[in-house]
Amino acid sequence: MGSIDLLGLLVLLVFIILLFVFLAIGERRRALFRPIEGYEALERAIERAVEAGERVHLSLGTGSLIGTDSAPALAGLAILEYIGHMTTLSDKPMVVSTGDGAMAILAQDSLRSIYRSAGALDRFGPNRARMLGPTPFSYVANLPILLANEDVSAHILAGSFGAEGALAADFGERQGSFTLAGTDDAQSQALLYATASYPLIGEEIFAAGAYLQQDPSHRASLQVQDAVRFILIGGILLGALLRILGINL
Amino acid sequence: MKLGSYMLWAATAVGTGVIVLLGYFVQLEAGAPTGLMQTVFGLRLLIMRWAVLLAAVGLLLGLVNLFSVHWRKISDQEQGWTYSTILILTFFITLLLGLVFGPDSPIVLLLFNGIQLPVESSLGALLAITLTLAGFRTLQRRRDLVGLAFIITALLVLIGSGPGIVPNASAGYGFFSGLRNWLAQVAAAGGARGVLLGVALGSVVTGLRVLLAMDRPYGD
Repeated sequence: MGSIDLLGLLVLLVFIILLFVFLAIGERRRALFRPIEGYEALERAIERAVEAGERVHLSLGTGSLIGTDSAPALAGLAILEYIGHMTTLSDKPMVVSTGDGAMAILAQDSLRSIYRSAGALDRFGPNRARMLGPTPFSYVANLPILLANEDVSAHILAGSFGAEGALAADFGERQGSFTLAGTDDAQSQALLYATASYPLIGEEIFAAGAYLQQDPSHRASLQVQDAVRFILIGGILLGALLRILGINL
Repeated sequence: MKLGSYMLWAATAVGTGVIVLLGYFVQLEAGAPTGLMQTVFGLRLLIMRWAVLLAAVGLLLGLVNLFSVHWRKISDQEQGWTYSTILILTFFITLLLGLVFGPDSPIVLLLFNGIQLPVESSLGALLAITLTLAGFRTLQRRRDLVGLAFIITALLVLIGSGPGIVPNASAGYGFFSGLRNWLAQVAAAGGARGVLLGVALGSVVTGLRVLLAMDRPYGD
């Protein structure tokens, strides 16, 4: 026969239940979150770019859409939606780049939806979202050309990056752009902390939707993360205490 | 009409997601009798194969997109159009050689080992210089406790790891080497686990949002 991982399914169920509970609570009582410097500065940077006739660039990283590293890029799509709505009607609308063909198609589709909802579909071109190179370093080698040629003044990295993320952030800094960078890999986050003016640490990249779009479901998601984190911390502390007391489960 | 197509995309995405996810939680032994679980497991494998195929098509479309961006730049004589010309020329030469001689032929491997690998390795080497400069910039930019801790930790790890910075025979070497090990194996590992825990929770919730059609990256 076979076996079913009941514990895994139970954990998943807890996540789903908590998500709907916080969604229901959020409709009556709005949760307060700590300020994240990068997201607070992002709005000002986009407004400055739009007023100055400069462009905003969003990188969705070099990870594959079907790989395990797709989650930060999916979170990056929330940033795409936010910037897209702010820049669609500007002289120089945003440009999106990625290192994966499938992700580029997804970004094009998201941008097309934004243009359609703004009633400006005639202004949309598929080259607004592009794949720069199929390998991490070929992607990053193309980045300085894009940043220089497109007059980019706000450079946002939100996706999966390895060591090449440090170069990608540094290219933006060298150009004097506002650089906000976040990824899921802990080592790459350390590199981004050193290279980007506004690094997103830990799970801050996954909070983009809640902070930028103020969407109730995104806010509920963030509360679920916090709730499960407290449960896990409690479990870790309890395990340590039991171990100190000599109780092995 | 619009609602109908939206419902269709959402149902397809949710249904596919649920089948793939269930496949992770179900482990089947070899020769197990056919049943619902086996059907789910088989469907999951089929969908995963389709996903790999679609990703390959996505790569092709990405390359077409790359070509069209650079072709437009050449047509409009935009700034940097010469680089685009080189890109398109090398793109076609590599494609042609690959199609004629095959991807494993010596001539294609020579192109890869002689151009692609050195360029990518050079960029990797550039990273060391970039990070050193970024370290100095961090010192100027973040004059707070966290920035200071970051720089001091980086310096201590560098002193403890780099050969020749502290003489191997000296007493200081043992101290810095031990401190480096503690920083890397206790402080950094603990911090990284905390970060990874947060990232894992964020990833799960992001996946669930797509699975529950709260996020619809596939369009409305």
